[in-house]
Amino acid sequence: MPIFDKSSESSVTRAIISQFARDMEGFAETDVIIIGGGPSGLMAAHDLAKKNVKVLVVERNNYLGGGFWIGGFLMNTLTIRAPAQKVLDELDIAYKQYEKGLYVTPGPLACSKLIAAACEAGASILNMAMFDDLVLREKNRVAGAVINWTPVSMLPKQISCVDPVALESKLVIDATGHDASVVKKLEERGLIKTPGFGAMWIEKSEDAVVEHSGFAHPGLIVIGMAVSTTFGLPRMGPTFGSMLLSGRRGAEVAYDYLKKKGR
Amino acid sequence: MTTSRKRVAEKKLREIDFCLPEDPAGIDVRSVESYVNSCFPTVRTRVLPPVLHGLRGSRLEKCGLALASARIKDPSKGVQSFEPMYGEIDYERRAILGKAKVGGIVYDGRKVEAICRNLLKRKSSLDRCSVVFTGRLLSTYSQDDLRQHLRTVICGFPSVVSVPGIVEAPAKPKEYYLMRQQLEAAGAGEHEMSRLKSAFKGRFIDYDDPSTNEVLKGLALQAIIFHMTLDPFCDDRTCRLFNAHWQEDLIESQIRSAGFCSKHAKLIKRLGREPVLSW
Repeated sequence: MPIFDKSSESSVTRAIISQFARDMEGFAETDVIIIGGGPSGLMAAHDLAKKNVKVLVVERNNYLGGGFWIGGFLMNTLTIRAPAQKVLDELDIAYKQYEKGLYVTPGPLACSKLIAAACEAGASILNMAMFDDLVLREKNRVAGAVINWTPVSMLPKQISCVDPVALESKLVIDATGHDASVVKKLEERGLIKTPGFGAMWIEKSEDAVVEHSGFAHPGLIVIGMAVSTTFGLPRMGPTFGSMLLSGRRGAEVAYDYLKKKGR
Repeated sequence: MTTSRKRVAEKKLREIDFCLPEDPAGIDVRSVESYVNSCFPTVRTRVLPPVLHGLRGSRLEKCGLALASARIKDPSKGVQSFEPMYGEIDYERRAILGKAKVGGIVYDGRKVEAICRNLLKRKSSLDRCSVVFTGRLLSTYSQDDLRQHLRTVICGFPSVVSVPGIVEAPAKPKEYYLMRQQLEAAGAGEHEMSRLKSAFKGRFIDYDDPSTNEVLKGLALQAIIFHMTLDPFCDDRTCRLFNAHWQEDLIESQIRSAGFCSKHAKLIKRLGREPVLSW
């Protein structure tokens, strides 16, 4: 007696293609596209999806989570400063108090639970896909993203010769970390000028990243480490609490905007 | 010229206004007021609401734009003119409305002074000294080494005292920076950084330090002495009017010593009896 039910290779192939095609058709027009599936992007995706916003996360790697798997010095213990541990409570991620206001949690546990929480909330994920360009509308408002498969994007153009596809959305969120790839694309077009990292050594910069999470350009919200690059805030170390809270703030800004626009 | 000098010389300081910072939590401006009262018993003092906060309508729009334009983007440049970003103006508007916290951004101290002056316009005259406390970081350009430097106080009309400047402006001990650099290069996290700070405890003032209020008293005094004499600083590191560039000097002048050199003790006594502007 075989363990698994009977199926054929062709059925497996058809199942993959038909389901993915249906998903991809849905991705063509969404409320929010989040570029980057690190902690801030996943947090924003979770919060928006919870509020029934149609949200798609585009991740260039096969895996989601970005740097959230590993803490400082390649050690997989993450430190979270109060009040960000409340997010861990909410997502049912176990943690321990290290000292007053400082908490530790294993990276693999926290990261996998955050990914699961975003997916279970209803966020769609398109991994191994790379942001290529922006869709711009009247007055250069950002209205979507042009994407291509990561392996295709990695190949020299004369070999790949594969055109990208465009996805429309009401908002795009740049959660691409220090690269700030989406903002940089606007800069290439002369629509925005980023100052780069602030060179002054300022100790208390985490709050600034959370507080600046929001619109950087009409139609474009910036969250996570991309906020540092966009606004020239002091560069930070592995401070995951601010990534989670920055994602949450970005989601709030996006939701308020969509609500005002009547979605 | 002679007439106007004489007119200024005859001006008496009648009132000192202290404007609260945007987020006054943890800051006791009343204790600063009492201290100043003890130095200048004949001058009226008031504590007023924050200047860069709670604005509405066109004042909100103008102030948001002006603050976004006052950011220091390149520490190696003096005059910095640029078109502020959409998100920067949005952030400043939210900060003025109390919907975003201030902090982490460096502003041109002279531009912030001008913004405050415009907002306080109706209340300003030479017989009133305004000291504006702010949660923003301020800097001015130094011709000595051709770069921006964070400041604790921008002496002017009004003077602006940066509360986080107490932590960030005077340099910490050199060894602290060296060790921090090494830890950062090794990828150390928040815990290691907080342990490093503990190792240097008492050698610099950190955020939420209760001695911040004590330092604010000395900075407020520097602002008031500037208003009255245009010469607010002293070279003696045990005098409260010492312009500290190192945290250890700041602690020495404002906390350990917390008094005046003989020259400035006499000056404060004289101005306390007769608060006349002498410039």
